[in-house]
Amino acid sequence: MIIYTNEGNPLGLQLQILAKFAKREVQVQLVNLNDSKYKHLLVLPTLELDNGLQLFSTAAIAKYLLADEGQQRDEWLEWSTTLLAPALAHHMGVGHKADPNALPVLNGLVKKLDDHLKSSPYLAGDKITSADLAVWSLLAPDGTLKGAQNVDHLRDWYGRLKVLPEVQQVLQQQPLKDLSFNALQQSNRYGGLHHITLKRPSLVDAGKLLAETGNTLADTITDEEIEAARTAFTYVEPKKLLEPRTVLPKAGERNVLITSALPYVNNVPHLGNIIGCVLSADIFARYSRSAGYNTLLICGTDEYGTATENKALAENLTPREICDKYFELHNAIYRWFGIGFDYFGRTTHQEQTEIVQEAFKDVHSAGYIITESVEQLLCQKCDRFLADRFVEGTCPHPGCGYEDARGDQCDKCGKLVNATELIRPRCKVCNSAPVLRSSDQLFIDLPKAEPKLREWVDKADNGWTHNARVITRAWLREGLKPRCITRDLKWGIPVPHAGFEKKVFYVWFDAPFGYVSMTKRYTKDYQQWWQPAKGTDVELFQFMAKDNVPFHSVVWPSVLLAINKGHTLVSHIMATEYLNYEDGKFSKSRGIGVFGNDAQETGIPADVWRFYLASARPEGQDSSFSWNDLAARNNSELLNNLGNFVNRALVFCEKNFNSLVPEVVLTQDELILLALINRELRGYINSLEKAKLRDGIRHLLAISRHGNGYMQTQQPWVLLKGDETQKKRAATIIGLSANIACLLANLLFPYMPSTARTLFDQLNSKQTTLNASKPLATLLLPAGHKIGKPAPLFAKLEQAFIDELKGKYGGVQAQTESAKSDQLSVADLEQAIQAQGNKVRELKASTKDKSVWQPEVNKLLELKKQLEAAQKAAPSAVQAPTKSGTPSVQDLEKAVQAQGEKVRQLKSSTKDKSVWQPEVNVLLDLKKQLEAAQKTASAAPVPAASAPATPNGEQVKALENKIAQQGEKVRTLKASGDATVWKPEVEILLSLKKELATLTGVPAAAPAQGKSKKKK
Amino acid sequence: MCDVATVKKIANCLGVSPGQVKLNDEQVVTRISKNKSVNGFASILETLALESTSETALNSKSSREVEAQVYQWIEFAVLYVAPGSKDKYVAKQLLADFNRLFINKSYLVGHFITLADLAVYYAIYNLVKCLTPVEKESYLNLSRWFDHLQQRPEVNQGEPLLNFTTIYLHGWATGTHI
Repeated sequence: MIIYTNEGNPLGLQLQILAKFAKREVQVQLVNLNDSKYKHLLVLPTLELDNGLQLFSTAAIAKYLLADEGQQRDEWLEWSTTLLAPALAHHMGVGHKADPNALPVLNGLVKKLDDHLKSSPYLAGDKITSADLAVWSLLAPDGTLKGAQNVDHLRDWYGRLKVLPEVQQVLQQQPLKDLSFNALQQSNRYGGLHHITLKRPSLVDAGKLLAETGNTLADTITDEEIEAARTAFTYVEPKKLLEPRTVLPKAGERNVLITSALPYVNNVPHLGNIIGCVLSADIFARYSRSAGYNTLLICGTDEYGTATENKALAENLTPREICDKYFELHNAIYRWFGIGFDYFGRTTHQEQTEIVQEAFKDVHSAGYIITESVEQLLCQKCDRFLADRFVEGTCPHPGCGYEDARGDQCDKCGKLVNATELIRPRCKVCNSAPVLRSSDQLFIDLPKAEPKLREWVDKADNGWTHNARVITRAWLREGLKPRCITRDLKWGIPVPHAGFEKKVFYVWFDAPFGYVSMTKRYTKDYQQWWQPAKGTDVELFQFMAKDNVPFHSVVWPSVLLAINKGHTLVSHIMATEYLNYEDGKFSKSRGIGVFGNDAQETGIPADVWRFYLASARPEGQDSSFSWNDLAARNNSELLNNLGNFVNRALVFCEKNFNSLVPEVVLTQDELILLALINRELRGYINSLEKAKLRDGIRHLLAISRHGNGYMQTQQPWVLLKGDETQKKRAATIIGLSANIACLLANLLFPYMPSTARTLFDQLNSKQTTLNASKPLATLLLPAGHKIGKPAPLFAKLEQAFIDELKGKYGGVQAQTESAKSDQLSVADLEQAIQAQGNKVRELKASTKDKSVWQPEVNKLLELKKQLEAAQKAAPSAVQAPTKSGTPSVQDLEKAVQAQGEKVRQLKSSTKDKSVWQPEVNVLLDLKKQLEAAQKTASAAPVPAASAPATPNGEQVKALENKIAQQGEKVRTLKASGDATVWKPEVEILLSLKKELATLTGVPAAAPAQGKSKKKK
Repeated sequence: MCDVATVKKIANCLGVSPGQVKLNDEQVVTRISKNKSVNGFASILETLALESTSETALNSKSSREVEAQVYQWIEFAVLYVAPGSKDKYVAKQLLADFNRLFINKSYLVGHFITLADLAVYYAIYNLVKCLTPVEKESYLNLSRWFDHLQQRPEVNQGEPLLNFTTIYLHGWATGTHI
């Protein structure tokens, strides 16, 4: 027989042992699945029998090779392949495959084994079976049981199997140290076993059994790493981080200019905005400074434009007053978040006007400006030209047809729209239809700049994030078109061009120059940053959310290339995806989500917010803010991991060594720890050099996890009570731990500056330069260094508190989790359907991958079915009339009202017709019934209690007919869509209904209101 | 996926009473029938096959070699097909792999229907359901196998038949989804 397996595959060991027990000869052949010779193999190891049959399931092979050993054995065999093996593979995952949940699950499985072996010598009874061999050969590689506690029965069993001659023979040919579950990644084309979600047992926590990883990782350390760790760990007088008053780029040094997309002054920034640009930029800038680069971080508010003008009108202030007011708000929020801008400016400074006007003159004299007469939309009712954002209408792009497309961009298909091309445009303010008027505008000739731009993009986009590259390529593929840079507004920078005195620059022409003008506010030598002399290299990092990419990668660079005066062009566009709020969207109007000022009110420290947002940063794909995740990360990572380690190290030092850092005498254990830390340190530096802030956090936490593991295994508290040599050992452990704490403070600084400062105080130390070119841990605190007073750095976030916050900022979304149980009320189901509907829509919008959203759609359909059933089963107010034969007019009216209310709610919450249409149908049906009932009621004598006066039957009938006709008319008109046309007819309908109401004394339900409200 | 509902479906297929099927403490599917409990999807399927006299069950235990192969595909359904369908890349690879396997086979094991086909069929059902007609055509061999199985009433069990027609009109009826 032949075993085909890959290098290090632990399941290969199992097959060899099984074959040995079955007394069959095997030959092991190491293969690579990428090798075309083996492309027929699905999963490794595969056993080829002498008759040519190939089997890849170890359990199937065990059952085939060894005769029937009973059902219990079969169950254990299945258990070992479907539960134990995936858990071990997850447990050994590193990097982005690391799974913090694996250890508890694995502990549960180990406990089950131990419990079972308590009462039975072997897994399936009194004799060794293939099940024992299977489980043993899974536990043996990676030394899973090394350092495990309270698993004596399992250990005993393990030992008994290990000494079996068959096992020993195999181990001689196949040493355990060459095997690891990591190798499973190369054992199939599905990425190993990582796609399997581990099953969390519903039983109580099994407790701590297995040792945390570290033992096994240590085996992978090479001698070179040990040597590097040993030589690096010496004390060198730390270079103090000196920051000049004004940072300027220097020739021959690394100069990093960082900008964050300018937040629009009118919006209160939410957490997504904050992590998308300002916070990311700040963390990166702090890192860059601590790596010793000349770093400048510039940001400010973007203040010009129609939105400001309009807000000013609404609040009865001047635009400048509005800007002043909101600027303070922004400034305060960013200050609270600890964003350390070198300068936080505004686009309404005088410098901005000068720079933009000069830039315009340069572009103009370079021949990149065209004048064209433009047809613009004028709203006669509001008496002004409508800026793009103030027109809405149907998207003109073929195949889209979205009804609420904005004048500059369609939210549905994402394409840019020309306001005049909108089908059936309407003024966003007054909803009336605007007219076309023409006026002269200036355009920047992007097509002329295109060749230069393409050439530049090809060179520059290596340093950009993937999404930035994709978006830019898409723009270039479609070809550039001239873009209008002037507007008929007042609140903006005047255009210095004859005939255009009354116009201003469009914000997208002026805003990017804000980066330059704000630098000018910071220093008069701003040109050293933006137009550096030959020999001085400035790297420009621009942080933004992905919707801002085209303006930073195409439009502004085109302008600068057109000016051709050696401007610094962006070398690194750092674009994030979107941050969702608990799987929904942030929405100010619906009170959903956490906004900048809310974060402050929660009482959770700014640093914790910074930490959480950075670790949930939407790098590469959208991510979600979640309260539970926030609490979990705070409690498990900050408090239990990082805080716990640092605090233990310092408290031991204070209590046992009189606050003096003891001498560190490195032994093999310390060197292994340092080598592991150096690995993570390198990862941290590499990640942050590329502004991968999320990965940086992971490496940082891994360092303190190593530290914790080290303390846990060394147990200095035991050694401290021992003899002299043991005390010396304890001193080394504490001394090294204090040094790691100091390293952590340095690494933590970009993310949590004030926490890091507190920690430096506790260490009585200062921040030191990170050596990015040679990232190795050094001795930061020499023996005899006196530390300060240790105190806990983090506080626990209690679940009750988090639940409270969740309710407060959750809007309606918080209540969706009740959709699980079988018997749900109609209301619950409706809510669940709404939530699920939202989810489906979002999924569909975000991805085209059907396999992703189809399951959710199925869930939605299932829910709808359930609702139908529930409605039938539980006769609600709505359904009651149809059951009780001839319902009274009153009942029907109530039902109509209730149903009308329901329809309105549904319509306001969703635009998905398929959701509300059925309810509308129910409503229409009810109305028909009501009509009929009213007819019979008016014919028959009406009970005195229900109506004070008997209405004139004839009159009522006539009115009802009219209403029915008018209703029909309104419905057909509405179907055609144009509000201006159907509105007056609705008025007529309503007045008719009122008339009827006065006659019958019953208030008319007015479903039309719902519809007109739907459109915001 | 390879859970309670699938076990019941397969029991129906084999004409065996499913008994009481639920998840145990380890979240593993368990069947209790005649005061005997069996844990694990593959082990349950084996006991079902023992109780059944259906064609599929008899095929599945026709020789030791067949038994071993049937078992490995059931395990493959549990370990790879069911969880892998939720991952875009794994799902693609799975479809391609099965398509390759069915180039020269009509069934997974031997020349007859076995439990292996049933286990993989139910595990891959949702994935196949989500394929567009064009995709289905590109996995032609897999589609043939799937379509062949779904025509059996005991397999299909009243679900609407998935469409495998290769004359596709959807190219110009862009607005329609299934």
